[in-house]
Amino acid sequence: MKLLKIVALAATALGALSTSAFSQEKLTMWSRSSSEAFMPALIDAFNASHKTQIELQIVPSAEMVQKYATAAAGGSAPDFVSLDLVYGPAFAKSGTLEDLTDVAKSLPYFEHLSKAHIGTGTFEGRIYAMPMSADASVLLWNKKLFKQAGLDPEKAPTNWAEIEEAAGKVNALGGDIRGFYFSGACGGCNAFTFMPLIWASGGDILVDGGKRATLDSPQMYDAINFYRDMVAKGYVPESAKTDSGKNFFGGFATDKIGLSPIGAFAIGNLVKNYPTVDFGVTFIPGKTGGKASFGGGDNFVVTAGRDNAPAAKEFLEFVYSLEGQTLLAKLGSLPTRDDVAAEAVKSLDQRYQVATEALKLGRTPSSPVYNDIINSSTGPWKQMLNEVFFDDDVKGSVTKAQTAMQSILDDTD
Amino acid sequence: MINSQNIHDGAPIRRRSGRQRRKQLAGLLFIAPALILVATFFVIPLGMAFWMSLHNWPLLGRPRFIGFGNYIRLTQDAQFWSSMRFTVYYTVIVTIAIFAVAFPLALFAEKAHRFTKFYRTAFFLPVVVGFGSASLLWAWLLDVDSGLFSPAAEYLGLMTTRINLLADFDTTFWSIIIMVVWKTAGFNMIILLTGLQGISTEVQEAARIDGASSLQRFRRITLPLMRRTIALALILSVSGSMLAFDQFYIIADGGPQNRTVTAVYWIFSQSFGSFRLGYGAALSMVLLVILVFISVVQLRLLRNPEGM
Repeated sequence: MKLLKIVALAATALGALSTSAFSQEKLTMWSRSSSEAFMPALIDAFNASHKTQIELQIVPSAEMVQKYATAAAGGSAPDFVSLDLVYGPAFAKSGTLEDLTDVAKSLPYFEHLSKAHIGTGTFEGRIYAMPMSADASVLLWNKKLFKQAGLDPEKAPTNWAEIEEAAGKVNALGGDIRGFYFSGACGGCNAFTFMPLIWASGGDILVDGGKRATLDSPQMYDAINFYRDMVAKGYVPESAKTDSGKNFFGGFATDKIGLSPIGAFAIGNLVKNYPTVDFGVTFIPGKTGGKASFGGGDNFVVTAGRDNAPAAKEFLEFVYSLEGQTLLAKLGSLPTRDDVAAEAVKSLDQRYQVATEALKLGRTPSSPVYNDIINSSTGPWKQMLNEVFFDDDVKGSVTKAQTAMQSILDDTD
Repeated sequence: MINSQNIHDGAPIRRRSGRQRRKQLAGLLFIAPALILVATFFVIPLGMAFWMSLHNWPLLGRPRFIGFGNYIRLTQDAQFWSSMRFTVYYTVIVTIAIFAVAFPLALFAEKAHRFTKFYRTAFFLPVVVGFGSASLLWAWLLDVDSGLFSPAAEYLGLMTTRINLLADFDTTFWSIIIMVVWKTAGFNMIILLTGLQGISTEVQEAARIDGASSLQRFRRITLPLMRRTIALALILSVSGSMLAFDQFYIIADGGPQNRTVTAVYWIFSQSFGSFRLGYGAALSMVLLVILVFISVVQLRLLRNPEGM
């Protein structure tokens, strides 16, 4: 009997030891497929230099939210997730995420981490999500077409009038060439590229901690009229009206578009896959100047109740190190720590410097119902934009969207 | 009812009822796998969906029981009813269009030609392509810049400028109707073909000898004898169309201006765009009831005197 007890105790101790060892050293992480270019390499580099080991699984981008929500509800969620930053408030509100406030505040360079990421990662005063990877919206112009149109190819437009004037001159080249491109039926794309026009002009989309929608603002009408003018003058290709994001990048890559607001991801893609496209990168300006950018990318989150905060901190310290930031930048993500960003992109195409500066200005609307109000294909944001750019009842469409968006925000309990 | 036979001769009856019970048990065993499958994959999920529909059940967070709150809410959901109206409109148009194409194809493919097998295969070929893949293909064909239709029409001089077929409701709607007819007419053709082949040639011969014209034979013999087959094809077409989603999601993204959002598209959008699983479940239950009602009405209308 005594022997039996000893064996049982030993087995329990061994089991506990091995469980503890595995739970501490073999952590699971999910990342969406759009991060496939850099996340596997980053994890490999971390695993190669740390005792803590992370096993990465790539999840199709469109399935990530449902998959993570379902897994969390069923108790089978991974330890860490690299999650589209806009979903931070929704997951934090649901209680799925570990509070990382202490981890975040203990980092000496906390103040230098992307404000857009920390903003959407903060819910009711606590930090649940930390910057993982980043993108920022910028304005691209085609230098070759600028030159052909008699414009200075090295001079970037700094306000809407200059953009429209340049688009007009490029458009006048004729044939298939058009002055300006945007994806007219894509809520997410236009959050990324159209909202900065409003921000840079002094307006906003959500205020009062994301509880009040402000679509019905003078800056919104100005920005709408700016796009409408270019559509009416034929500067924008007909296909833009129904582009739900499929040509968000492809439009400019055709080498037949004068200017296009887009993400920094396009820089590497153009350099690598479209070397003949000679382009410049600048900030998205406001009506009379100024600049703004949408901070996109992923936040790092930890599934609640696993006691993985120390491992999370170890991983984040690696991500935010110069080595981690350089690796991310090299493989397609903007650095998320601004005090080492310039150093991290030093060896890359110099146009990345503008993008890293844009990320410093980066903003992201923060709301638990972000998907419902902005990204959803049947939501008020996408519905409004598609109507106001191409139809006649601008006031009616904006008012309808304002009411619908506010109604969704009010419904959020 | 007890009679003298039962009293005096109970043993054979017991034997008979025993045999009957064994037969019934054997029958039950035979259909047991199907019953288990139906229970597992239809009845239980249906029950769960109904249970979900009684809750405020977010994708993220804890569900909260709200009784029939979701059902009350959907009565005021303008987009849902607009989507339902559009779905019914689409179903009527596409079903007529499919039959208008499939019936002549079936009549044509039934006759022995030199290339009968080739025609049947050619007409049926689009059916084997999944709706998702077919929609992707047509999304490209309809693209105003890099597609086929608009650039080709411009190249051939049929249009002076390229027309974006997906920018206007009518052209979007009819483009999708054509795509669905192309995709599904072959399937309906095969169903109708089996019905046509089931009609005895003697009946047709007798009518011909009696002097009936082709049109008369079609109206008085072919159509009445095809009743069951037509009912089957109609029910499949109507229920499939009422559940349409892929083509409107992939080709038109519900546009222009949410005007091609079908009922299922709205359910998907509410469940996974707005994360309201409970509300999505309530919408699904209502759609199910409407679909069952439509199917029952169809069956009653198409029931022949001998019964279905």
